Amino acid sequence: MNADAMMEILEKALRLSTAEVTVAALRGGTNASTRFAENVITQSVQKTEYQLSVECAYGQKHGAAATSNLSEEAIKSVVQRADAAAKASPPDPEYMPPVEKDESGKYAKVEAYDARTAQTEPRERAQAVRKAVDRAVAGKMRISGLLAMEDEFHALGNSVGLRAIHSSTNAYCHVTALGDNGSGWAHQCSHRMGDIDLQATAERSLGIARLAQNPTDIEPGRYTVILRPAAVQEFVPYYVICDAKATDEGRTCLRGKLGQKVCGENITLRSDPSDPRCPRTPFRHDGLASPTLNWIGKGVLENLATSRFWAKKTGRQATGYPANVIMDGGSATDEEMIASTERGIFVVRFWYIRTVDPMESLLTGMTRDGLFLIENGKITRPLKQLRFNDTVLGVLSRVEQIGQLERVENMLMPTIKVREFHFTSTTKF
Amino acid sequence: MKNLCQFAVDVAKRLGAVYADARIVEIRNQYLMTEDQRVSAIHDQESAGIGIRVILDGAWGFAATSRLDKDSVEKAAKQSVAIARAGALAKAPDGIHWADEPAHVDTYKTPVKVDPFSVPLEDKIGLMLGISKEVLGVKGVKKCHSFMHFRRQHRFLASTDGTLIEADVITSTARYQATAVGEKTAKTRYYEATARNAGYEHIQNTPLLREAQRVGTEAVEHLSAKACPEGRKDLILMPSHLALTMHESIGHATELDRVLGMEESCAGSSFATIDKLGTLRYGSPIMNIVCDNTYPEGLASMGYDDDGVQCQRWDMIRNGILVDYKTNRETCHAIGAKRSHGSCRADSWASIPIMRQSNFSLEPGEKPLTPEELIADTRDGILIDGMGSFSIDQKRVNFQFGGDCFWEIKDGKVAGMLKDVTYQAITTEFWGSLDALCDKRFWEPHGVMNCGKGDPMQSAQMSHASAPSRFRQIRVGGAKP
Repeated sequence: MNADAMMEILEKALRLSTAEVTVAALRGGTNASTRFAENVITQSVQKTEYQLSVECAYGQKHGAAATSNLSEEAIKSVVQRADAAAKASPPDPEYMPPVEKDESGKYAKVEAYDARTAQTEPRERAQAVRKAVDRAVAGKMRISGLLAMEDEFHALGNSVGLRAIHSSTNAYCHVTALGDNGSGWAHQCSHRMGDIDLQATAERSLGIARLAQNPTDIEPGRYTVILRPAAVQEFVPYYVICDAKATDEGRTCLRGKLGQKVCGENITLRSDPSDPRCPRTPFRHDGLASPTLNWIGKGVLENLATSRFWAKKTGRQATGYPANVIMDGGSATDEEMIASTERGIFVVRFWYIRTVDPMESLLTGMTRDGLFLIENGKITRPLKQLRFNDTVLGVLSRVEQIGQLERVENMLMPTIKVREFHFTSTTKF
Repeated sequence: MKNLCQFAVDVAKRLGAVYADARIVEIRNQYLMTEDQRVSAIHDQESAGIGIRVILDGAWGFAATSRLDKDSVEKAAKQSVAIARAGALAKAPDGIHWADEPAHVDTYKTPVKVDPFSVPLEDKIGLMLGISKEVLGVKGVKKCHSFMHFRRQHRFLASTDGTLIEADVITSTARYQATAVGEKTAKTRYYEATARNAGYEHIQNTPLLREAQRVGTEAVEHLSAKACPEGRKDLILMPSHLALTMHESIGHATELDRVLGMEESCAGSSFATIDKLGTLRYGSPIMNIVCDNTYPEGLASMGYDDDGVQCQRWDMIRNGILVDYKTNRETCHAIGAKRSHGSCRADSWASIPIMRQSNFSLEPGEKPLTPEELIADTRDGILIDGMGSFSIDQKRVNFQFGGDCFWEIKDGKVAGMLKDVTYQAITTEFWGSLDALCDKRFWEPHGVMNCGKGDPMQSAQMSHASAPSRFRQIRVGGAKP
């Protein structure tokens, strides 16, 4: 769907509404992927999907409806349903008037669309998988994973004249490699399919899997860990970006800490939708610009995710929620970090992280697909997977070294070295 | 809609598909949310489209579109064929084993007394705000969030088997949570009309308003509760809690696609491999797990799955021994089964059907036993109600769970509330320690609405039932930073 067609649908919805205020959003596109397991393709899919959302408001009464059907009749129906929901709703004291037209002047310039990616054919993906599988078979190993592309757009309009549109592509792959007794994992993510090298990713995961065979026991306890970017991405963002209202009401671990030091001075966590390494939509669902700011700057909590209502109430700047999260990286390579570690554990990724105590930022989770003991600056043996229980803010206060950045989903995260990371139990493999 | 599904199947067949199915699904979701005395969201979502799946050259193809005109459907059918041809570049040497299933021409409908979409929004909002008022009336409660969700899935399925099914499935749920805020921390407590395939009568029959004060009071009590001790305790797990432990440690481990490695790169695999079928001691001799997609209120009960297989009931663990798996038409051959158990579902018309958990239950005890008698029989334990934190490794071996509310049991009596309780175990050791089950009077199903699996990720729903159950000498309190 081209930009004109998108805007025509939005304008139609806005025209059909008789509410005092109307906000219409259209998003969708095509998503295609090839999945493989045990060295064969197990799933190849392509879907094209759109969703038109309409929010109507009368004073402080508001309600919303959505449809996947973009026919004239369906647009009329979705507007009517949103209107009915708004009329049925009691006044919401936190309702905010629509975002003004001039907000679009604050949108970051984001280059996130690659036409070549949008044209990727299933046969290209299948050929890439075939080559990756051949490498695994040659090494007497098995691989599983996914190679995928997305071609998406977001368009937004409201009854006070704001119009916004953004198109993006996304390409990613991940590969789990297995031997008889141990696994490895690697991944890649970009907005350009041309950046994705499935064979190289498979080779990296096969290399880890070869090292991971026949894992050995280790006593759970406190260890220095080197966490690869995928592990950092799984762990860190949980409690460093908290809702301002919930925090001010005493319901998050950051309560009373705005402007205070919450972790090590070597930690800066920020958002920037225009970062070319991780470009993201420059506006949020309500039309507010995606934030470009520090959440934590040199260990100090600088910002909380602040809605327009809470900003008005507290006199702070409205930030909305981030489109991406970036931790400032360093220059150390993984090898240099390993070489400088007397005794520690190298973690490729985590799995199934869940909150244990949100007020303490306490999380639990498992390691997965590559866990190794480091002794005297060298990886000496693979380990059976471990469960951890540790706090996000505690871990970010014990970061000794920060390595190079890697894109993981909508984040840029570095490898980090952390002292006294708390492993609490082990599993059987 | 049936004709359009049949048209898609015919196009795929004409282009060489050896098997094809087409699903049109019309989905409607209504969400209502409140925060304290304000309605924070009312959202009414509709989505409709067609998903076309084919087997050709020993490979899968799937294409989906939200455009339900004949030209778009034909294009999607051709696309699914082209995708399958491409997939054949790395197909299994022996192709896809596709189990036979008789052709079904049938309709299915969730038995519903009150269509939730016919109930005025004002009535629903009135109930939610009424609950909120009661909860906030409890001294020390600072916040009340409530939520209602109603879903209708109207599905048409046609396949080259000659199957033609129309199913209309309605799901209803409501939930609220009280938050008490103290000087240094905050604690919560929730109550719900657990998700069921049922109409609005399920909301009306659940004492949501009547329990509001108790829920608020327990949130406040939670603030000053004693910390979880560290060591080994007997656990009495209520059905509202055990449903999630069952889901994670049994439900996922016994999905045959995971066992065969098909989910290795995402949701993981399983320790319960097929070489152990018939011999693996999963739990104690009183552990009996029955899968059942036939009881109408179960979230996985939809008449027929998305492979076109009629929903069934079967034993999976008998007297503690693993005797079967959840299967679909693609995987059942691996354990020598001629027919799938019908556990294949997609979360939308836009998703390819994948193996999902069925409804399943831990069968209740045969001898009369009430929860009070079970508590009286426990010297040093903890009773856990409601779902909380949950984490398990990718082969479903090592897990750690929390809960929503906890009570210490000393010498057969409830000795006060605890906080921050977690327990850690190895799956077979945990189920091996099961030593008592309350009887069927106390057996109740609880719904899981957001089971994530697949890549791209899909969300599925299913119900897990049990009676209050006791597990001996489980490690608690190890979740410290």
